Amino acid sequence: MSADYSHLSSAILEQCFGKVVQAVADCLFSATTRTLGQITSATKFSRKEAALALAVLVKYRLVDFTASKQNPFLAEYSLRREDILCLLRYPRYVHLVQTKYGNVGASIAEELINSGSDTATGILIKCLAEGENKAESPESYRNTFLQMVTDHYIIKRPELLVGDDQDENVPKFETNECDFFRHPNIDLQLLAKIRKGEASLTEARDSTMVWNLNYDRFHQDFRDTIMVDAIERKLGENAAECFRFILKIMYNTTDPWQRKLSNQITFVEIKQAIERKSNNLDLMKYLDQYISLITDDSLGFFRRVGDMGGGVYVVDMEHAFESLAFACVESVITERFGSKAARIFRVIRCKKYIEQEDLQKEAMIPSKEAKSLAYNLFQEQFIHVKIIKKPGGGSNGPAKAFYLFQVKEKDTVRMLLDASYKSLYNTIERSNFEKNEHKGLIEKSQRLDSIVETMKERGETDEYIAEIVETFTPPECEILNKVKNRIKTLSKAELTLDDTIFLLQMYQHHCTSLPTGIRKFK
Amino acid sequence: MAAEVSQLLLAVVQGIPAGATNEDLTKALPDVPAATRVEALNILLQQGGIEILKKGEKLVYRAKDPEKKSALPKDADNEEKVVYGIVEEGGNKGIWIRDIRMKSNLNMIQLNKILKNLETKKLIKAVKSVNASKKKVYMLYNLEPDLSITGGAWYQDQDFEVEFVDVLNQQCLRFLQMKRDNAEKKREGPLAFKQMSCCTVNEVQKFISDLGISKVKLAEADLETILKTVVYDGNAERVRQQDGSHVYRAVNSPLPPTGLVQMPCGICPVIKNCSNCGDVTAITCEYMRDWLD
Repeated sequence: MSADYSHLSSAILEQCFGKVVQAVADCLFSATTRTLGQITSATKFSRKEAALALAVLVKYRLVDFTASKQNPFLAEYSLRREDILCLLRYPRYVHLVQTKYGNVGASIAEELINSGSDTATGILIKCLAEGENKAESPESYRNTFLQMVTDHYIIKRPELLVGDDQDENVPKFETNECDFFRHPNIDLQLLAKIRKGEASLTEARDSTMVWNLNYDRFHQDFRDTIMVDAIERKLGENAAECFRFILKIMYNTTDPWQRKLSNQITFVEIKQAIERKSNNLDLMKYLDQYISLITDDSLGFFRRVGDMGGGVYVVDMEHAFESLAFACVESVITERFGSKAARIFRVIRCKKYIEQEDLQKEAMIPSKEAKSLAYNLFQEQFIHVKIIKKPGGGSNGPAKAFYLFQVKEKDTVRMLLDASYKSLYNTIERSNFEKNEHKGLIEKSQRLDSIVETMKERGETDEYIAEIVETFTPPECEILNKVKNRIKTLSKAELTLDDTIFLLQMYQHHCTSLPTGIRKFK
Repeated sequence: MAAEVSQLLLAVVQGIPAGATNEDLTKALPDVPAATRVEALNILLQQGGIEILKKGEKLVYRAKDPEKKSALPKDADNEEKVVYGIVEEGGNKGIWIRDIRMKSNLNMIQLNKILKNLETKKLIKAVKSVNASKKKVYMLYNLEPDLSITGGAWYQDQDFEVEFVDVLNQQCLRFLQMKRDNAEKKREGPLAFKQMSCCTVNEVQKFISDLGISKVKLAEADLETILKTVVYDGNAERVRQQDGSHVYRAVNSPLPPTGLVQMPCGICPVIKNCSNCGDVTAITCEYMRDWLD
């Protein structure tokens, strides 16, 4: 966790939940755990305000709490720092659900996002009340919900343990791995009653089971898309389809977040899966060729490890994300320092350690330019220098030192990730600034819109409406459009930035042993 | 007659590296009369093919290395001879003036004079090294400087020809891409496509020499270095063949343009200084302003 990330998460929380939550989260960010008392004394908020903020964070699954070891009556709160960034990914989650389950799924996901976590019945009631898709029956909502649970997009939160000594103690939860995706019992009749107002939500039998979105499952889909797209760009559509099947087979036997290598897959398995599900004749005809194409490619996604069953293969996540993350780093270098610098970077990565003189010869760049580019890259911490010293003095002759360029891959990626966090923070800041700067104007236009809306409903004449609209002068209109455009550009940049961040985070998960945001089912 | 005998004699003398005595010569060529032998030896001495040494009381004839045939005029003084000898030892790699001074033990002024003298007589020449532009090295006048001094095909008068390399780099890439496009049209399965899009260095060399963009003749090794730069640019891949040679093929980048560089922060030169306070902030950022308007 870097300072850049702490600024970013603070800005995100302010945007989503306001100042109090931001302050409480900031206080938690800097410590492993804090108690409510510590939080109130640090933030100067009243106990009630701080507790409310904590409740919001707990509901959105951003704060965990456990009983203190010394005092079982005292709760200690800790922030799930990595998950804060996921708040920005909500549009992507909804979009993914929309493409998979249609509008019904999208509205379920939206409700889950809005409420943070809720019971199944509660969610369905809200969805039905929202009523965007009036044509859809409660059954279809229920079935989609259950399907999303089956597909692991929705996960159950640990259930509260009810016991005699629970009254005073900090609540405890039961985490049962096989229970995460068990279907809830949704009573449609009761649902109808509640909607009519004949019953209350507390009567529902599933009121102890609370659900929320399973981020990891979404991230798994995002990751697959990155890999399949990379194959498509490099080796064409058929190879990409082939790889999609390979990933599907991989998930049958492998934990999706296994860090380095997948478990083994045989050629026969792939062939059977493709023959059953694909109707791509070209792919079937040349399947062995496509597989050897993917295996031989320098991206190194797929590796042959044995000969049983027509060939045994593994998916090499570590190599895959190393290739992809460095394609990303190289593209950043190309844009920032020019293509010659990218060439130098690749030479250094390829040669592991290289001296200045050899570097310019290998890259075919005149020495002056090569030096300046390499030193620039060094200054911005894309490359590093290793110094090897030969002891000298006395009879050994003068001391000698060799300065070798190298790429410390993990450091480079972390540096870039921090830069991305900072950029993301900047877009949010700038966007807030633009909004504040033209607050009056934006509010005025909103007021005007609502006035016009009501006037239309009342059936006023078009002339009269036009007259009202004209109170918004053309220069004001121009400024407003400009600001709107700026904010639009900024939010688009936020989304594309997140692509980079996600890719680099995947690198950290698969290529290092650093703790990452992915913690299976917790 | 004497000229023919001189060749025979030279062959005999060359056969005995330690030096041939008169007896050796009579033994090897018994049917040559002494007068002719003397005449032939004189011719060889004149040509500088052999030299006479005194070994005890006897005269010994030894063959001189024809490469090293000294071009030093007879009137050269001792210092000149010594310096010339040192430069000669340096071969086509040349020798630095400081090393000459160390070896010859002459002082700087004298040495400079001698070197200048030898240069005007076109016996030696000074060559600038590409590795260090200020470092001059001396070598014999008739020698072709080593590649490490001139830098090979990529240097013209000690200057690296950036444009030439860039043009070659682009043309090589164009050739690889052309090859791939052609292979794509054929549709004969993925492996065949891959194989057809690969090029050997030889093919590239032929293409480049047919283009006629290079005045100098480029060797395969030269083009290999160029192809490597195409690989380092991320536009091609180097594939190792089973026989150990390499072929090249054009490839696409696996990623679309990175999100980070689509906004000014990704390419900002002062992002390190960027924070909430101070001169560089997101709100006052000029790059950001230009980008948003």
